[in-house]
Order: sequence, then structure tokens, then C-alpha cells
Amino acid sequence: MKVKIFRWKAIGPLLLLFLFLVLLVWVFAEPVARQTTEEASSELLGTQVDVGKLDLIPRQASVDLRALQIADPFVLTRNLLEADEIRLKLNPAALAEKKLVIERLTLRGMRFGTARKTPARPPSGKGFAPQVYRSVEQWSNQFKVPLLSLTPVDTIRQLVLDPTQLTTIREAQSLLARTDSARKGLEQGFQQLNLGPTIDSARAMAQKLSASDPKQLGLDGTRQAIQSVQGTLKEIRDAKKRVEALERKARTTVQSLGQGVQSLDQARQKDFAFAKSLLRLPTFSAPEIGSALFGKVSIDRFKQAAYWAELAQQYMPPGLLPRPTPGPKRLRSAGETIEFPKAKEFPRFLLQEGQLDFSIGGASPIQGAYTATVEGLTSTPALYGRPATITATRRAASSAIASIDVGAVIDHLTARTHDSASARLQGVKLPSFDLPGLPLRLDPGTGSSSLTFSMKNGGAQLLGRWAIGSKQVSWLADTSSRTLNEIERLVVRVVSGLNDLQVVAELSGSMASPSFSVSSNLDKAIARQLQAVVGEEVAKAEKMVRAKVDSLVADKVEPVKRQVATVQSQAMQRIQVEKQRLDAVEKQLNAELERLTRGLAPGIELPKIKL
Amino acid sequence: MLALLKLIQSLIKTLHSAGTPGQVAAGMALGSALGLTPILSLHNLVIFSLLVLLNVSFGGGMLGWMLFVPIGFLLDPVFDKIGLSLLTASSLRPLWTGWTNTPILPFTNFNNTIVLGSFVSWAVLAIPIFFAARYAVTRYRATLGERVRQSRFYKAITASQVYNVYKMFRP
Repeated sequence: MKVKIFRWKAIGPLLLLFLFLVLLVWVFAEPVARQTTEEASSELLGTQVDVGKLDLIPRQASVDLRALQIADPFVLTRNLLEADEIRLKLNPAALAEKKLVIERLTLRGMRFGTARKTPARPPSGKGFAPQVYRSVEQWSNQFKVPLLSLTPVDTIRQLVLDPTQLTTIREAQSLLARTDSARKGLEQGFQQLNLGPTIDSARAMAQKLSASDPKQLGLDGTRQAIQSVQGTLKEIRDAKKRVEALERKARTTVQSLGQGVQSLDQARQKDFAFAKSLLRLPTFSAPEIGSALFGKVSIDRFKQAAYWAELAQQYMPPGLLPRPTPGPKRLRSAGETIEFPKAKEFPRFLLQEGQLDFSIGGASPIQGAYTATVEGLTSTPALYGRPATITATRRAASSAIASIDVGAVIDHLTARTHDSASARLQGVKLPSFDLPGLPLRLDPGTGSSSLTFSMKNGGAQLLGRWAIGSKQVSWLADTSSRTLNEIERLVVRVVSGLNDLQVVAELSGSMASPSFSVSSNLDKAIARQLQAVVGEEVAKAEKMVRAKVDSLVADKVEPVKRQVATVQSQAMQRIQVEKQRLDAVEKQLNAELERLTRGLAPGIELPKIKL
Repeated sequence: MLALLKLIQSLIKTLHSAGTPGQVAAGMALGSALGLTPILSLHNLVIFSLLVLLNVSFGGGMLGWMLFVPIGFLLDPVFDKIGLSLLTASSLRPLWTGWTNTPILPFTNFNNTIVLGSFVSWAVLAIPIFFAARYAVTRYRATLGERVRQSRFYKAITASQVYNVYKMFRP
């Protein structure tokens, strides 16, 4: 009987099923693609992305997106970018390989910093972008922005200090315990040296040999005597090695105790600062005032730059090695999806050329048409072979005094990555902000602003500079909340008289260990005035603080310092004494050895024996 | 509960179909791919087409699918390890690199550890599943089959309208 392999009558229903599937795709492709685009881009960027409408144009291998909104992850009520229309021209050959290569992106009706109707969802979840968001938040929190203290000096009456709050006392007690333990350890070391028997036996041998004559000892007797001397010399050398080992240990201990003493001095400085903070003395150090006034607002700028640079590090890794990414979300385990880039092939994602046109209208000095280009934004920079660049400039000059100039280069071609961005805005309306610690809101008016940020080798080198400048500063005082004290009134008077503002914040170091400084003409003016008015009083208060801390700390610290010095000097002295004793007896034995060998063959120079 | 009833219905109908034990077993071996591997993968469209076009028991395929879905979920960690070891094997890297850059093939999601691990496991297990299922069906028909056929339960199931549709794909 012939076995029937195919079920031909099933072809019809199967084709019908496929037709039904195609129909489903046709009907639901656009809404599904829109939702997928929103979800994928929100997860990638770590901020809410909304797409109003998505049209697929298969004949032109294009996608049209309308009413795009990308929320600002740091200000959820604001959009980072809003665009009316975006057209993506895709590469069909790359699509067949499940790769997204955008040959050309055109974006129209772009606006920045627009208010959102509903606040965006805060970045959350376990994705990479929310993790970066959290780590950047943590990173920015490490900068200690001092609080501006403007307490009147006449309110400083008494300083009550609890000795247990002082670091110096805690460290002194700890150092005392360490010193005691080090002393015991060294004592034990000296006992273990056990040099007495070695030195005594060496001396006895030297005395015995000094009374003997090689001629009377004979050849055998002299040879035995030489061997005995050599044996004893070896014991002395071993003893010297033990002493040297103990000396090394003692030096390390002494050095560690010395560092402990130094840390006591540093702890005292910290205690001065702590005690001073209890008094809430007004500060008139310009850098501190600068940090207090503009620290937070400057760090916020660098924080945002660091966030986007960190995302670029993740999404644009250098090299062509296979790289795993989390698999697609589904009911079953997602697993990992591994990409296998290949030279001369398409990368998984590439934006070859993006043309962004936007205009700024109204009577603003920066009104006019602008153009921005994005090139080479890719998931595999090594395949594209050139750094990604972003530029934005004015297309048609409308005003001579105003301009926007933005540029960024993302160079991830090799492991030595370098991301840099710079934005210079002139004649723009600068955002107003509150001055921390003062009942004042600063409105810089129209001025200039610039931000440069550079990150090399994945954050190993960091360089940033943010500056704002304006000659049209206005001050909005909020005096309704509380009554200002004398110093606050002085500061308000000083700053209110200023129409000019220059702020420069600088960032350097690395992501792991950044350093930050900020200075402005404002802090210098405030510092000068405060110095003149309350400088003398503050100096007196500081002197009082020092005296108070010293009185509490001195009787705890001085005995410890003395004990450390004693242990240090005694240890080194004892080691020197032991070394000298060993040297002396070794010298004596060597002299006897020389005499014996000379007596064995007078007039003949024996070859030197390396012992 | 409904899924369980469907499973029992499918099981009874398949075991008593006119198909030979070999046809039922072949259907189950193919259907197990749908259960063991993530369902929304391109290769499953091919498996489904084979199930429909080849003269195997379609009911057996559906039964295999249903039986192996929970097993697939349970074995996901194992599939992940198998897939990862295959995808990270340096000797296979040229193959995966070639496939990634070949049209259509990337849509199979072969470069996902679960998809590859489960598919390879199914490919290895398909023959043992076939023989085990054939033996089980033969034994069932020789022992319990006739008694079940005479039961009211069986008659109630075979009398349902769904059974008529099912008969269209019966081998």
C-alpha cells in the first residue's frame, strides 16, 4: 500500500490561515508598531516617549511619526523635545536582516522645553536607563553643596560641645590602643630574636681563639677552628637577618603610628569645622558662597550631560565582539539575545543622516530658522567607521546679536572612547531660579549660556564647564515668608544692587572621583561686604571655637602623641643597639679568622672565600 | 478548567482517531516543538505548516503542544544554559555571525538563548518523543481503548460539533 505523505486538501485552509494572518498584520501593524516604538524608545532613553500617530509607508520603505514627545527625565512636567512630524526613510535590505538603518530622518516642527499636559512617568524598573538615572542621581548627590549661613553674630552666645561627638577623641582612643598593641608586638619581636646566646657563644669563641696559636694547633686543629668560626659567623648573619626583619616591621609600625598622629591633626580640623557649624557662623569665603548659591543649579546641568553620555557608552559600545542584551519580554523567560556584528555589514541600528529643521518665532532676538544634523548614530560605531556628530546652527541669520551653536561628537570607534558636547547660546532668555538660603529669585533675563562637557575612556576623564552671563539681572525678593535678619538684609541689599551676573562652574576628575568648583561675581561681592561687616566678630567666634575644641581634645591627644613618640624612639634605639652588638662580635670573629688563615700559610695570599 | 477539559477531549479524540499510532506519534513529536519553544517564533510557523500539510495526526500535534507547554516553561533555565553555551562557543561564532547577517534568518530569533536552546533540545528529543508516543498509543489501544470507546463519556465527546471540524484534519 502506498503511504500518503502530504495532505493536499489542507493547502486551502492553510493558505486561508496565512491570508487571515496577513490581514491581521495589515489591520494592526500600525497601532502595534506605534505602541512598540513608544515602549522600546521609553525603555532605551529612560524617559517617557509618546507617539501620536504612526504611519507605515511600505512602498517607500518609510515610517511617519506624528506628535512625538520625549519627556525630560529630570523635569517630568517638561518635554525635552517635541516634534510635529518625523519621517524615517529605512533601508529595506537592512530590514530584511532585522536591522534598523535609517538612511534619512527629517524632523519638522521641533520645539524644546515645552510644558507637558500630564507629567511623565518617572524612570523606574530594572532597565539600563533607569539604572543609569539612579546612578547619576547618586553621583550628583556626592557633591557637598554647603548651605549659606547668614546667622547674625550677636546671636552666638555659647558653644556646648559633647566630647563624644568629637572625632579627634575617638581617633585618639583608637590610636592609643594601636600604640599599645604595637609596643607589645615589638617587645615580643625583640624577645623572639633571642640574640643573647648567639652573641655570648661568639664572644667565647673569639676569646678562645685569641689565646691560641695556629702553629700549635697544627693543620687539623686550625682547619677545625676555621670551620667553627665560619659556623658561628653564619649564626651571626642569621641573627642579623632576623634583626633586619624586625627593623622592617618596626619601621612599618612606626610609620603607621606616625600617620595615626597626623590623622589626629586632621580630625581636629574636622572638629573645628563641626563646632563652627554648630554656631552657624556666617561664611564670607567666596568659593563657599559661590557653591551655596549656584552649586545645585550647576550640578544639575552636568548631571544631565553625564546621563546622556552614560547612555551613549552603553548603546554605542566600541569593537565588534558579540554582545548580549536582554531578550524580548514574554510570558516565558526572556533569556539573552546575542548580537554578532560583522565587518562591512549593517549594524543593528544606524542613523545615517538626520535633518532637523526648527524655527524660533516671535520677537525674541534668537528668532529665525535653524537646522540641525545628526550623522552616524549607531549601535556599532566600529562598523560605521566614523564618530557620530550632532550639530545645530542658525540657517538664516535674523539677528546679529543672538545665536545658537550646538555640537557633539561621540567617538566610540575604539576602546578609548571620547564623548564631547558643547552648546553656546547667546542672546537667549535664561531661566530664572531661586537662590538657596536667600529669599530671592534670580531672573538673569537675556544673556549667554555655554556648556561644554567631555568624557573620555568611559568616564575615566571628565571635563565640564557651565557658564552663564547676563547684564540684565533682576531680583525678585520674597520677604513675605519671614522677617530677614541683619545679615540677610545686608546680602539682599548687596545682590539687589547688581545688574551684572557671571557664573562659571567647572567639573574635572573622573566619574568615580569628580571635583567641582563654582565661582561668580555675586559671591565675591557678598564675601567682600560680609568680611567688612562681620569679619572681626566671626574671627573672634572662630577663635572661641578653636579654644573650646583644643580644651576638650588636648588632654586626650597629648598623652597619646607622647606614647607614640616613646614607642617609636625606643623601638628604633633597641634595634640599633642589637645591630651594633652583632657587628662588634662579627668583626672580632673575622679578625680571628684572618689571623688563623694567615698563620696557616704565612706570606701566601689565600683566595677570598665567599661566606 | 476549560483548558483541562480541552486537553482531555483532545487526548481522547486523538487516541481513538483512525490514524495509526505512528501518525499520532509523529504529530505529537511535531507539536512538542510548539510547546517546548517560544510560540511566537518564525520556525513555529513552519512547524505548524508541516503539521497541517503532512499526513500526521493534527490532533496529536495539538496534544503534543498542550502537553509540552508546561514542560517548556519548566525547562527554560536549562534551555537558557544550552543556548548560551552554543551562542558563546567560539567554534560556532562564524556560523552565528553569518546567520545574523543573512536576510530573514534573524527573524527566527535564533540568537536568543531560550529560542536556540529550546529548539536544539526539541530537535534532539523529537525522535525519542516519537517512539515513546507510538509505543504509548499502541499499548493504550490494545488495553484500555475499547473500554473507553464504549463509555458514555467518549460518546458525549464524539457527539459534539467540534468533533466534526476536527474530523476534517483527521489522518
